[in-house]
Amino acid sequence: MPKQRLIDAYRGKRTDSPPWVPYAGVHCAFLINEPADKMLQDPDLLAKGVVNAAKRYQADGIPLVFDLSVEANSVGCQLKWWPDNVPSVTTHPCSDRTPTQAALQLPTPASGRWPVIFEAARIAKPRLDELDCVMMGLFCGPLTLASHLAGVRIFTDVYKKKEFAHEVIKFAGEIGAVAAQFYAEMGCEIIAIVDPVASQIKPETFREFVATNVQPAIRVIHDAGRTSSFFICGDCTKVLEEVCKLDTHGFAIDEQLNLLFVRDLARKYNKGFGGNLKLTLALSLGLLSPREDAIVSLAAGGTIGYTFAPG
Amino acid sequence: MADKIRIDVLTLDSVQCAACGYMMESIAAMPQEIQELIEYQEWSIKNKDGIGKFLELKGKVLPTICIERDLVFESIIPQYEELIDEMAQRAPTPAMAEKIRSLRDKGFEFDKIQENLQKAGAGLKTRTDS
Repeated sequence: MPKQRLIDAYRGKRTDSPPWVPYAGVHCAFLINEPADKMLQDPDLLAKGVVNAAKRYQADGIPLVFDLSVEANSVGCQLKWWPDNVPSVTTHPCSDRTPTQAALQLPTPASGRWPVIFEAARIAKPRLDELDCVMMGLFCGPLTLASHLAGVRIFTDVYKKKEFAHEVIKFAGEIGAVAAQFYAEMGCEIIAIVDPVASQIKPETFREFVATNVQPAIRVIHDAGRTSSFFICGDCTKVLEEVCKLDTHGFAIDEQLNLLFVRDLARKYNKGFGGNLKLTLALSLGLLSPREDAIVSLAAGGTIGYTFAPG
Repeated sequence: MADKIRIDVLTLDSVQCAACGYMMESIAAMPQEIQELIEYQEWSIKNKDGIGKFLELKGKVLPTICIERDLVFESIIPQYEELIDEMAQRAPTPAMAEKIRSLRDKGFEFDKIQENLQKAGAGLKTRTDS
């Protein structure tokens, strides 16, 4: 039961062996010989890419889409598209005004690329079910989305213009709750808040701005009976304990952390944890042996709440 | 003596990694008066030149902003005033330091970010074969 194994691990439970999730992202496009920008805007190709990657890598779970511009784009941010990467956000509608002043509205299923994602989910879900593979819904967390909305000033505003920062990040959290609801409606069994830039702030800032504004989305996920996680990137050592204190079932980290440190903290808080395979050093650059990296990670991660996954 | 302040941003990839992207944007959004005093570049460790620069500057984490070869902001996206202060501290002349400090209250400017990022090579060398 690969699906149940993954859900159990994400909830911090013991599993007979560690489940495996390839966060394939735009690599799904490469595998089907299509440009990333084309796949991400075409529901048939998106479904094809994800299902193909799930089959090829014998995944226990796979994200339907791993693109943190979806939510920003659905409320008006413009994008620059790349053939071999995710799109980047190029405009910040709240760079000089609040979401209210900018007349931003919460997204609907018809906003931005949500119709593409709903349709891709409709196609992919039964195929992933046949593979006993969890379809995961990933959406942009409040601080990263606030950065998309307001630009880099948000990292100054959290100290110098708190009222403005609170308004933008709260709005971003509300958008996240809507996205979580969409993924629940699509049938995603695991729904994750992905907030990479939350590693780039101090713990007290994390508590004040991130911890409070992920709550609406976590409530949506748990009310739908789904499993929740919080994905963070970079060297998040300084905020990892705060991550563990969130109400999500678990969290995921990247390759820059020490997995033994992460494992011990996860167990202390009874959380699921995953990630850390050396995406850059081993899988991309080949500076480390991916095989040895995998063996070391499996030994460190163990079988209580650990998901084997790239970082 | 150099007439500009050198800034190197060590990244995974400023397109794929949001933290790397906003590290780059923190420099690209500095006001025009500062843009004239600095030269900066993204070094993605997805290619050999980036790995070389990471090793040369003795980088420890990604992303990192290096100013005049010092690892200044390691996994912390800087506030505007912090950037101003760290640049001023490393300015080649007292006059330039003073000019930079005089812009402490100006704040980020967003109208030329894309143009500035392009100049810095942001997102352009993020493939292993680039």
